[in-house]
Amino acid sequence: MKNTVEQQKSRFFKDELESSTDVSSSFNASLNNNESFLFRCPEPESVQEDTNKADAACNQVEDTPSPKVQFHTQIKEVIPDLDAGMVDTLYTKFKDSEDVLSKAISYYFEHGIIESKDEVVELQRLPSSSPSKDIFPTFSSEATPAKRKKTFGFRAEKKLKPSVLWKKFIGSLQVSAMATRPTLKPLKYGSEMHLVKSAGDASLHNLFDSRGRQKKKLSNHVRVVDAERNREVGKVPEETARILYPLLGTDEISFEATLVFCNNKRLSVGDGFVLQLDCFLASTIFDRKAKTPGTSSSQKSSTWGMNISISETDEELVWRFRTKALISLFNKIRIHPVENDEDAGHTNQDNEIIDLEDDESFENLMSQDSDPEADSHYENRTMNLNQLKTFYSVSQSFESQRSLPETDPPKDLLKVQLRAYQKQGLTWMLRREHEFDKANSNGSADEVIGDMMNPLWKKFSWPKDMSWEAQKLGQGLDTIPNFEYFYANLHTGEFSTKKPVLRSIIKGGILSDEMGLGKTISALSLVLMAPEDSQYQKKDLFRSETGDNLDSDIIEKPSEVPYASKTTLIVVPMSLLTQWNMEFNAVNNCSDKRCEVYYGGNVSSLKTLLTMTKNPPAVVLTTYGIVQNEWNKLLRDNKMRSKISESTGLFAVDFYRVIIDEGHTIRNRGTVTSKAIMDLRSRCRWVLTGTPIINRLDDLYSLVKFLDLEPWSQVGYWKTFISEPFENKNFKQAFDVVNAIMQPVVLRRTKDMKGADGKPLVVLPPKEITIEKLKLNNSQAAVYKYLLNKAEDSVKLGLARGDLLKKYSTILVHILRLRQICCDIELLGSQDENDEDLAEINRGFQENADIKAILNDVKQKKNSSKKSKEQIEESIINLHEKYPDNNSLTNLECSICTTEPIDPHKLILTDCGHPFCDKCILEYITYQKEKKLDVKCPICREMLDDTSGMFCLKGEVEQGEDFELTLFDNTKKPAKIEALVKGLQQLQDSSSGEQVIVFSQFSSYLDILERDLSNAFSAESSKIYKFDGRLSLKERSAVLADFQLKDFSKQKILLLSLKAGGVGLNLTCASRAYMMDPWWSPSMEDQAIDRLHRIGQTNSVKVVRFIIENSIEEKMLRIQERKRTIGEAMDADEDERRRRRIEEIKTLFE
Amino acid sequence: MASLPKRIIKETERLITDPVPGITAEPHDDNLRYFEVTVEGPVGSPYENGIFQLELYLPDDYPMEAPKVRFLTKIYHPNIDRLGRICLDVLKTNWSPALQIRTVLLSIQALLASPNPNDPLANDVAEDWIKDEEAAKQTAKKWSKLYATPKQ
Repeated sequence: MKNTVEQQKSRFFKDELESSTDVSSSFNASLNNNESFLFRCPEPESVQEDTNKADAACNQVEDTPSPKVQFHTQIKEVIPDLDAGMVDTLYTKFKDSEDVLSKAISYYFEHGIIESKDEVVELQRLPSSSPSKDIFPTFSSEATPAKRKKTFGFRAEKKLKPSVLWKKFIGSLQVSAMATRPTLKPLKYGSEMHLVKSAGDASLHNLFDSRGRQKKKLSNHVRVVDAERNREVGKVPEETARILYPLLGTDEISFEATLVFCNNKRLSVGDGFVLQLDCFLASTIFDRKAKTPGTSSSQKSSTWGMNISISETDEELVWRFRTKALISLFNKIRIHPVENDEDAGHTNQDNEIIDLEDDESFENLMSQDSDPEADSHYENRTMNLNQLKTFYSVSQSFESQRSLPETDPPKDLLKVQLRAYQKQGLTWMLRREHEFDKANSNGSADEVIGDMMNPLWKKFSWPKDMSWEAQKLGQGLDTIPNFEYFYANLHTGEFSTKKPVLRSIIKGGILSDEMGLGKTISALSLVLMAPEDSQYQKKDLFRSETGDNLDSDIIEKPSEVPYASKTTLIVVPMSLLTQWNMEFNAVNNCSDKRCEVYYGGNVSSLKTLLTMTKNPPAVVLTTYGIVQNEWNKLLRDNKMRSKISESTGLFAVDFYRVIIDEGHTIRNRGTVTSKAIMDLRSRCRWVLTGTPIINRLDDLYSLVKFLDLEPWSQVGYWKTFISEPFENKNFKQAFDVVNAIMQPVVLRRTKDMKGADGKPLVVLPPKEITIEKLKLNNSQAAVYKYLLNKAEDSVKLGLARGDLLKKYSTILVHILRLRQICCDIELLGSQDENDEDLAEINRGFQENADIKAILNDVKQKKNSSKKSKEQIEESIINLHEKYPDNNSLTNLECSICTTEPIDPHKLILTDCGHPFCDKCILEYITYQKEKKLDVKCPICREMLDDTSGMFCLKGEVEQGEDFELTLFDNTKKPAKIEALVKGLQQLQDSSSGEQVIVFSQFSSYLDILERDLSNAFSAESSKIYKFDGRLSLKERSAVLADFQLKDFSKQKILLLSLKAGGVGLNLTCASRAYMMDPWWSPSMEDQAIDRLHRIGQTNSVKVVRFIIENSIEEKMLRIQERKRTIGEAMDADEDERRRRRIEEIKTLFE
Repeated sequence: MASLPKRIIKETERLITDPVPGITAEPHDDNLRYFEVTVEGPVGSPYENGIFQLELYLPDDYPMEAPKVRFLTKIYHPNIDRLGRICLDVLKTNWSPALQIRTVLLSIQALLASPNPNDPLANDVAEDWIKDEEAAKQTAKKWSKLYATPKQ
């Protein structure tokens, strides 16, 4: 049998010939409707209604039983498991109306429980006459029984609307069929065949189990019928059947089968023969959803959304299989979307007939899709580096970013000049908020947004008609209107001849510029350009004049909270709060716009402030923490049944705009923060983040949800189209969809992107990172050696036993200790709750005693110097003679650095009685030794006995007390501190006003540095700041504000903890930095350096990284290097990661 | 330009505000470690009335390393060669970081007052000096007049 359209046609012809009555045509219709019920668009009531009307009609013709009996049979056909009592009730209720059955069924479905329908009505095998393809355009309307769902229930219209206006060839397949019945003589080459869905128990539940997986082979249900004899001859292979079964019997796709090979023999059962299967899209498929193309989501979700529902309804199942079959079919006939217009001409030109048998992709495709239970390993969800790159590369090429016009905010709004790309970004952001009059726009609003194709849709060009019929006639048979392309959404199975245009409803988006490109200023310029909801203001004015109730394009949601139409809420991490506030004040140029920091209860009633006052703040700044707190409170209060309207905080108003900075904070939608942020109300929503994906594709979901990007914000949609394909390693599909979703709402620029002028977007001054290799001092080296031995033993043991990874944490502890020693031995015992890892580990630190012993040992060796006690005492007496009292020490000058007076803490007196600064004389001694020169007193040239013959003050010199001298203890300071002091000193000498940042990951190390640096430098010459997690917000902002003030007389040193200050901070005031210790991840270091090396930096940045020679730190560098090249181990599976970890540990201890 | 240690700045300031009699030293505009120096010939020496140009350069390791000093003006002196290089212990082995530009220049002035032909750098001059000190002194005087007299 031919495809359904053919059937229909033939039937229509017959109808015409026989001048069939309404009854008979609806009889036919009923058959088709029953058939297509399986594949219908979800309007269940009307379908049912129609079916039954038709059935009713048909029954009337056939055997006119009593109306009630008739009703009984009819309704039973539709709703088989309806009990008799219910049928009676329904009958009595509607017996007087014209359309008993339809009304009854409608009623049933509206009021009763919707029973799932298992019904697949067997397709009648009608002998079909001359299947001609090109009859449709001339097809008379009155003879067309409506088949389309659209017209269901509109009988009057049915006849007027021809359903299938035309059909058009899309491709051919070659199918090897198998004979199921012997034939008397060979089938003729070119003889026409029909494909028919066979009878039998082909109901959904028989074919599919509850999870929607196929239970039975479909090949038994798709039969090949000899059109001429109307006799079944064979069946198609399972693969083909899986495509055909769901599509056969719809009027949307038609198939024409022609016998092309049967070996010219009589067929016995089991013999193979080959069919050519021509596939056509019928006009109906384009009509079906024409009115609601694309993501007009609410409708979609209510129809076949695979959303929150736990199990699919039959309807959805049917639809899913139809969609899947369509995808398979499109793959089979190799009709591919047109990527861009230039390619259109070439793409499907040489459409050939494709042999199904040789192709395995089908199998793959089916197995992928039909296994929803595929193990979803966590690994599957994480993205590897390349995938991330792909994602970004696509998001970078988004739109014609480069050709975006620039919007230059007026000077009276914005104090600073935006960069070209920032102006482009502003245009984009304004457009996203539909503020077209404010954005510098080359085109109309429609061009800007309207031209964008709905991303889920693909554009196809019609292939040349290669069908059997066309070949025979030697020409294409298309008589349809001259469409060049058609569009299909293969995810939902929708088709269109018109470009499905996406009109985004949401206002807002994701500004995902790379770090340092000025997302903050972009966001602020948007806020200043469009500070308030202009639509709302207008409407408000108008309303107050005329009364109320005029239609506006803004649909006012009935909202129990007042609308703060003039306020933007900006949610930022706490560490950035001050910076945002400062930036706002720095760029804002109008006095009437202000920024309110909502933190720590400084605003008593936000609601009143925003909605009741005349001039509410343009910006309310708050932190994620506050949002989360208020949300929690609300949650508690809600339990106590108090109303939202009584609350006064963030959730009590509907903001005009919400901007979340570092938006990836909400990436885990299970967290309270994420949930709280989602619940904020606003008309426009923006996400700022340089890293929209941290490591999982699903990270994006939270952003999409925050933006309320329908329908993707429904978790079901996301899962179906993105998570699941991704987990099933169907990456292309997942990425295609993600890109399609994100394209319109994401703007991402990177530092190395070129602007319209061909120059890089940002030209930053050069940065120079040098590694300064240092040696451990004696005591450090001794302790290091001791701990290294312990660590190595433990690793060796682990390797030998093969349980290395079980000991992973122990080994990490060892490694950590080694790293600490590289900084300072003092770190070993430190208990700092801010270094959570340290505190945990140090609690179990047992070797303290051993280490003390080692340290003593080192000291002993040192002090067993050449001088005897007596000599030392004598020297001290001599020195006291030379410097009889405290006053004699006050005006000493160091002849090396010419500093006077010498700081008593630093004073060194040589044996010969000459004063120097400690570091000057030490530097001199080191220099002389390096040059292999004698070490003499610079002043009297007396030989200096190394450092052991030098003296320093013992303790503090108190007023009125004589100073005491003691032998100078030249246990060297830890190497890094010494090097840091030296570096800072040099910097002070050359340019004293220069700010310096010192990074460390150990905040207890920062304490040590603070102490040592303040000992090393006088308060006049330097000021030391410390910024770590222990600071309160106020302290943080005070520290940063003060640090940033230039003071040419002082060296400002900021000791910065990586954890607290690694992200977001803008420290361009400094151009020098020291990295005290290496991090595991090189990107963390880069991040830290980017605090200085970012827009606004005018000097070349110099960074010194201290690395201890031949220590674990050097090995960490090696691992860093490797990480840089191969990327993080995210892409690897568990085994691979395990292997790499062992590898890393081996590297560390080799 | 490389950073300038405080000590250099301090020395430079002092050289300008509190100059040594008969000696001037001015840092070059482009390089503050490079000094243009003049030294007057000591009274009573054959170099009297001569004004000698020198250059002085402070190496990066200064004050651990001695400054580099050279005569630019031709001078007839047993410890100063034709290229102007000076043989002076404090510029070599006897350097100490406690010494300064000022002290170095004073030492050079002193060297003009008391040449040391026994530790020569310019061997021919030293020979002349040992052979006939008076004649050598006359030559030195002549040279000073010829080369070290400031042009009016």
